[in-house]
Amino acid sequence: MMIASKHILGTFEESLASLRNNVLMMSSLAERSLEQAMKGLFDRDDDLCANTIADDEEIDQLEMQVDKDGVAILLRFQPVASDLRRVVSAMKLSTNLERIGDMATTIARRARKLNCHPPLSEVELMKPMYEQAMSMFKDGVDSFVREDADLARAVVLRDEKLDDLNRTVSDKLVERMVKDRGQLRGYLNLVFIGRCLERVGDHATNIAEDAVYAAAAEDIRHQHQSLAPSV
Amino acid sequence: MSLQMEDLVMTPPDGTVMERVEQQVERPPAEEPAPASTFQVKNLSVWYGEKRAIENVTMDIVSNAVTAIIGPSGCGKSTFLRALNRMHELVPRTRLEGKVLLQGVDLYSSSIDPAIVRRRVGMIFQKSNPFPTMSIGENVVVGLRLNGVRDRIFLNERLEKSLRMAALWEEVKDDLDKPGTSLSGGQQQRLCIARALAVEPEVVLMDEPCSALDPIATAKIEELISELKSKYTIVTVTHNMQQAGRISDYTAFFYIGRLIEFGETTQIFSNPKERQTEDYITGRFG
Repeated sequence: MMIASKHILGTFEESLASLRNNVLMMSSLAERSLEQAMKGLFDRDDDLCANTIADDEEIDQLEMQVDKDGVAILLRFQPVASDLRRVVSAMKLSTNLERIGDMATTIARRARKLNCHPPLSEVELMKPMYEQAMSMFKDGVDSFVREDADLARAVVLRDEKLDDLNRTVSDKLVERMVKDRGQLRGYLNLVFIGRCLERVGDHATNIAEDAVYAAAAEDIRHQHQSLAPSV
Repeated sequence: MSLQMEDLVMTPPDGTVMERVEQQVERPPAEEPAPASTFQVKNLSVWYGEKRAIENVTMDIVSNAVTAIIGPSGCGKSTFLRALNRMHELVPRTRLEGKVLLQGVDLYSSSIDPAIVRRRVGMIFQKSNPFPTMSIGENVVVGLRLNGVRDRIFLNERLEKSLRMAALWEEVKDDLDKPGTSLSGGQQQRLCIARALAVEPEVVLMDEPCSALDPIATAKIEELISELKSKYTIVTVTHNMQQAGRISDYTAFFYIGRLIEFGETTQIFSNPKERQTEDYITGRFG
């Protein structure tokens, strides 16, 4: 990890700091939305689900702000090397954070539908997936903030476990659908929620890949099988 | 004759499709041969009196490519450029150690005539410098005339060819008798490029060729540089990082007379290996 010394242009430092702050704000909001949506599912709390859906607007606005500020920085300062990578990565991060916000919203909508019917014990199947997705998300953002390429690489490797969990849970839910056709809609909603959590893992992976690019100037996309933490 | 199922199946020549795909995937990428070098600079040091302006620089300058020399003022980049055609010798009390090989020939060998070196290695300066008493046409062919060429047809052909290569012909073809100084700043700089090209050099050195030009004139010179590299090896000094990024294939970063980093421009500007390069190009110097 390299800590950059001070830039000659104070205005550049300020602009870059503002861009990063907005990205961090987006990640905090996306994390809160995901937490609220899942809590709304587990606790059958419609208010939390409604909050999640309402909060998405703020994440969307921030995404546009980050894009606007990023373009302005590219235009005004024409950054190069690590500065360029930081700006490009921040802009790419915001897209993934916005998508995670959308996933949280979708989960909240599905949870509200589930809450209209008697509880399903299979909701518990979502917990390990949620924990895995959330930890990947948090570590992905953390690796970007700390410019920690090793942590980011480790996040990428964890996506496979989440995919496996999703497959296992989906198989179980399909089995339940066959046996209990009366709850078909409920199980289907859970399948979609599982799918959303798996997508959160994918976006966390993208974030981690961008963090590696920002920190180490390496493009590790589409080569997960050959990834190993550098010593 | 009825069509059989076998007729519809394309049989791969060797093995299954997957085997062939795997063979392709597993094949290690062929190593690209090192690009040909016009200059080989070896352990070059240059002194102005007691002051060492260049310290032990070793680098190869790739043929038919643009190499940008960047670095803060006083880092030795102009001295390095001038050492490539012995122009620095025009400054009194200069001394040089090391070797500069042009196509394998040592430019500083005692048998080499500096005038011939400067014909093979042309130079464009920061400020355009057409000869004020000469017309546009005379400015272009003055180098040939000084070398004793008198054939009018040959001179006219070379005049047009050089002006075309400098992307100036269409703008001045009807005004060849007007003074060179009657042109705009950007046109004067292209006139100087045409003058350098008229003697058919192998290399064109440029010392901040656009620093006195407006953005349009700068864009024309940059475009011209990109076109010329198919015929010439170009080395340019620039303070403009964005320009170096736009026009060059290779970039060398100098600091206090030393070559800190040299590599492909995309690598230098996206992922420099040296902290000093990173600090300089991102504006964190000092």
